[in-house]
Amino acid sequence: MHLGCPPANFQPMPSATINGRTITAPDGATILDAARGAGVEIPTLCWYPKLPIAGNCRICVVSVDGQAKLLPACATKITEDMRVTTESPEAVAARRGVLKMLLERYPADHLINGGRARPNNQFEDYVVRYGVQPTPVGQRLPLLRRGDERPGDPMISHDMTRCILCTRCVRACEDIQVVGVLDVGYRGEQAQIIVGADGDPDKAACTWCGECVRVCPTGAIFEVLPQQRFGEIPVTAEPVVQSVCPYCGVGCRIELHVEDDEVLRVTSPSIELDTPNQGSTCVKGRFGYDYVQHRDRLTAPLIRRGWVKRGTRWVWTGPNGADRRAGPWRSIEAEGHELKHPAPPRATGKRLRDLPLLDRVTMDIRERAATPPDWYQPFRQATWDEALELVAQEMSRVHAEHGPEAMAVFQSAKCTNEENYLLQRLIRARFGTNNVDHCTRLCHSTSVSAMQAALNTAAASGSMREVEEACDVIFIAGANTTETHPVFGASLKRAHKRGAFLIVADPRRIELARLADIHLQMQPGTDVALFNAMLHHILAQGLENREFIAQRTKSFDAVKQAVAPYPPERAEAITGVPAALIRQAAERYAKGPNTTTLWAMGLTQHLTGHDMVTSLLNLILATGMIGRWGAAMMPVRGQNNVQGASDMGAIPFVYPDYQSVSDPAMREKFARVWGVEPERMSLTPGLKVTEMTQEGSPIRALYIMGENPIISDPDIAHAEAWFRSIEFLAVQDLFLTETARYADVVLPGASFAEKTGTFVNTERRIQLAHQAIHPPGTARADWEIIVDLSNRLGLPTTFPSPEAVMEEIRQVAPAWAGVSYQRLKNLAGLQYPVPSDDHPGTAFLFDDRFPTPDGKATFHPAQYTDPAELPDQEYPFVMNTGRQLYHWHTGTMSRRSNGLDAREPTAIVEIHPDDAAELGITDGDLVRLTSRRNAVVISARVSDRVARRQIFVPFHFREAAANLLTSPVLEPHAKMPALKVCAVRIEPVAVGATV
Amino acid sequence: MHETTYEPVFTGDRKKQLDQLLPRFPTKRAALLPALWMVQQARGWISDHAMAEVAEVLGLTPAYVKGVVTFYTMYHQHPVGKHFVQVCTTTPCNLCGAEGVVKAFLEHTGCKELGATSPDGKYTVIEVECLGACGFPTPVMIGDDFIENVTPEGVPELLRKYQ
Repeated sequence: MHLGCPPANFQPMPSATINGRTITAPDGATILDAARGAGVEIPTLCWYPKLPIAGNCRICVVSVDGQAKLLPACATKITEDMRVTTESPEAVAARRGVLKMLLERYPADHLINGGRARPNNQFEDYVVRYGVQPTPVGQRLPLLRRGDERPGDPMISHDMTRCILCTRCVRACEDIQVVGVLDVGYRGEQAQIIVGADGDPDKAACTWCGECVRVCPTGAIFEVLPQQRFGEIPVTAEPVVQSVCPYCGVGCRIELHVEDDEVLRVTSPSIELDTPNQGSTCVKGRFGYDYVQHRDRLTAPLIRRGWVKRGTRWVWTGPNGADRRAGPWRSIEAEGHELKHPAPPRATGKRLRDLPLLDRVTMDIRERAATPPDWYQPFRQATWDEALELVAQEMSRVHAEHGPEAMAVFQSAKCTNEENYLLQRLIRARFGTNNVDHCTRLCHSTSVSAMQAALNTAAASGSMREVEEACDVIFIAGANTTETHPVFGASLKRAHKRGAFLIVADPRRIELARLADIHLQMQPGTDVALFNAMLHHILAQGLENREFIAQRTKSFDAVKQAVAPYPPERAEAITGVPAALIRQAAERYAKGPNTTTLWAMGLTQHLTGHDMVTSLLNLILATGMIGRWGAAMMPVRGQNNVQGASDMGAIPFVYPDYQSVSDPAMREKFARVWGVEPERMSLTPGLKVTEMTQEGSPIRALYIMGENPIISDPDIAHAEAWFRSIEFLAVQDLFLTETARYADVVLPGASFAEKTGTFVNTERRIQLAHQAIHPPGTARADWEIIVDLSNRLGLPTTFPSPEAVMEEIRQVAPAWAGVSYQRLKNLAGLQYPVPSDDHPGTAFLFDDRFPTPDGKATFHPAQYTDPAELPDQEYPFVMNTGRQLYHWHTGTMSRRSNGLDAREPTAIVEIHPDDAAELGITDGDLVRLTSRRNAVVISARVSDRVARRQIFVPFHFREAAANLLTSPVLEPHAKMPALKVCAVRIEPVAVGATV
Repeated sequence: MHETTYEPVFTGDRKKQLDQLLPRFPTKRAALLPALWMVQQARGWISDHAMAEVAEVLGLTPAYVKGVVTFYTMYHQHPVGKHFVQVCTTTPCNLCGAEGVVKAFLEHTGCKELGATSPDGKYTVIEVECLGACGFPTPVMIGDDFIENVTPEGVPELLRKYQ
């Protein structure tokens, strides 16, 4: 039940009363629901909103006239004429009895004689409220309760003496996260909470999401981090600031608890509020916030030694040529080749002190993942005046000497909309170039190109919540949602549990594939053949939506012809998926009635990424599975603001809100708002990230805000050389990253917790995050840096706050016209398009037309071609790259987060058990991976998640960077590198051998 | 309790046996108790590893399986002797001398105490609540065999049949 928002079947019940007040309640409501709706508090322990009712604690019992016995309010439906008294003498006496009984096994000596309850301890609050006196522990017979305690766990620990067996944690794990790590074991007085079969959360498939921490009413299950960092947690309630999680595109609402200008802990808003995460977070959101306070944070601007001010000008006096950007570090390539420690055991189940000394040393992540001290050596600390003056001087000089096409910026999907708006405004208005791009290029750029061609749109059509609530069939292609978007992944699992049919197309046997009703385990890069075959079968069976095709689309015949050569048998030969399975999946997909389609990097990061998405869109359009609640088209966005950065025009061919840079009318409009002559701005689309960093690119000066391309770009060895070759490089970041170490100037920015601004999640939801703490040292909010720099570069910029920037954005972006900070103060945010002040936002799009001139979508045929690289005798394995649950992209943030890094401390390669056996490799062994470009030494993890002859390498790790191996070949439409398919060979490395 | 190396239970014939069993239940979860019996028959007891295997085979969580195993007293969570001896010591049998029978079993099997396994690994003796044969004291179960009218004197002879 959503309080304050009665459902449609709302039935007033005028004759029921609670404590003498007449109340109304929706049909089927319990006494507790009705009381909460009326603002009457009834104590609860085992009850929790949205969890199945257990009714085992009996603290919510109430008196009902005419009933001889007390009734549990949580489990009794309210009926006509019911007269309820919540605090009757009988009910209070029963509650005291319940509390007294629970106290017999609970350490409550601190509550004797009027002691205070511990903070956030619901149970102790009730004990104090109802005046129950605990017996001192020493005078009792029953022992304190026991249970599995997760010793040595880096994030979650248990003090099971405080457990009251309410089983909220068990139900939250089972019903919200759909994992089931916890249960009640043993019986009678021995009953206790158990973790898996042997107390090891790892073996019980725990994802460390912390849902159990959130629901525990006594703190028996608690978060380790605040205690590690702050010792005893202060008793006073700390200030709480509403923010948005800085990791993935789900855009979870989180609350930052602040103590002494530091983030003490992260919690999430109530499960009952309308937020994208509905109260949940994943491990990164809840426990991955300590990077904000990491000692590596840059606290002052850095200038490369060699830059000296002579009179009014900065002059380079350092070495030129290859040594221009040298430093006392090894290149990523050299680190990759180096022998390293085999992967230590994951930090769980073993206390650190139980490990051998060597393991303990290698597990001290603060030393290992931190910025090496010598990286700072080529730099000196500077003032903001010096640093910005130098940036302004050099960017102006390069612009004057080499022209607009020599200038470029990389924007950031981690920065706010306001910051991204300001930076593209700067480069376009001041330097007259559209050389602006960001990591969307390596993410969903092929989806955008395919969706623009077919539907003229660049975002998801629906909402995450509709998948959980309303869809009948979920089709997931190339998206490892439970690891990369875990909160959305959990909602998919809930949907599957309530009966939605799950089809997963993925070369790996990921968690969702194991759960799936149908798993289409195809060869990497063969998706076009698979989707075409599905459409072929749908047409053969006459299952297409003819009405939709006729009324809402055009050019269907071309696709009909294009899929004709793809009978499922041919697809079987290409993809390796049995034809019968393809047929079955196709039928389920087409029959829906509401099918939601999700995809992510598994489709986009291919040489044929555009064609893969196109063929998937053909499937969506031919079956009409779009534009209804429950039938959503969802490219799942990676970064927390990759959607927003694109919306703000951080792409080379459009202004904010996808308004073409080639359109003179648009140029006129933006020039007027930005206060420059239209002729100073370029009508030519700019270069894309992947084009800028290629040899022979015209870029001479580059300004990077919050990106680390040296780890994320393909073929790192070449990328690293390119970054060293340009004339001027400025990097604005939180840390001295692998890219920033080559910069002339490094500008310290602010993390998400240190600034106010808006982010857009994967379902187009604009959300406002508030500043909680101050940036360290003299670091500044990124928008302030850009405003300052713009003024120094002669582009008058007078925004006093991010809110003022948003006021300008809504003027120029029609879909954002109704967005204001005032409206964004509610937790739910606004889903654009929001065309006017009174528009409520748009949960799903395209119910009657597509945003094309004639309102129709266009089919585009797609033909299968082989992946860019095929394995051969020399390179017999296909390597796939991607993310892990515990890490984030280039590891800048997550590897500086204690808990996350303890779970995945080193680079690994997943290899199938049979392949491992053939090669004589066991779990943890060092192996050398060699591709046609480069090699890395890395630890093996034997896992049947990967198919035979395929391996998976996460790209988070500098010391064994997956992208040393990947191919820089670009997809022709969107210039996306083909990161997903790369042929490699594997050899065991004998420990002690030289590399 | 943990084993060092673990061989899966449900392979070969036992897997076939389980597969034949499953259609008789409305859900896989409903087959949990018989599946656990099969483990206990095969191994004599149910280890953490075996619980995890059953969970995997039936699509349950390891914690759920452990919750069930630890709820029931007839599933062994520790290794027991080859012959598991259960002596009824509830009131009527007790009145008729069941304690003497227990003592005789402990003495002749070499088990030092109730619940412990004899040094030769052959026997484990426990007391059990009513075996439902109050007219024929003292009833005893050895493995799956049900034996009535056991007296302390009869124990050595009885044990000779269970070597």
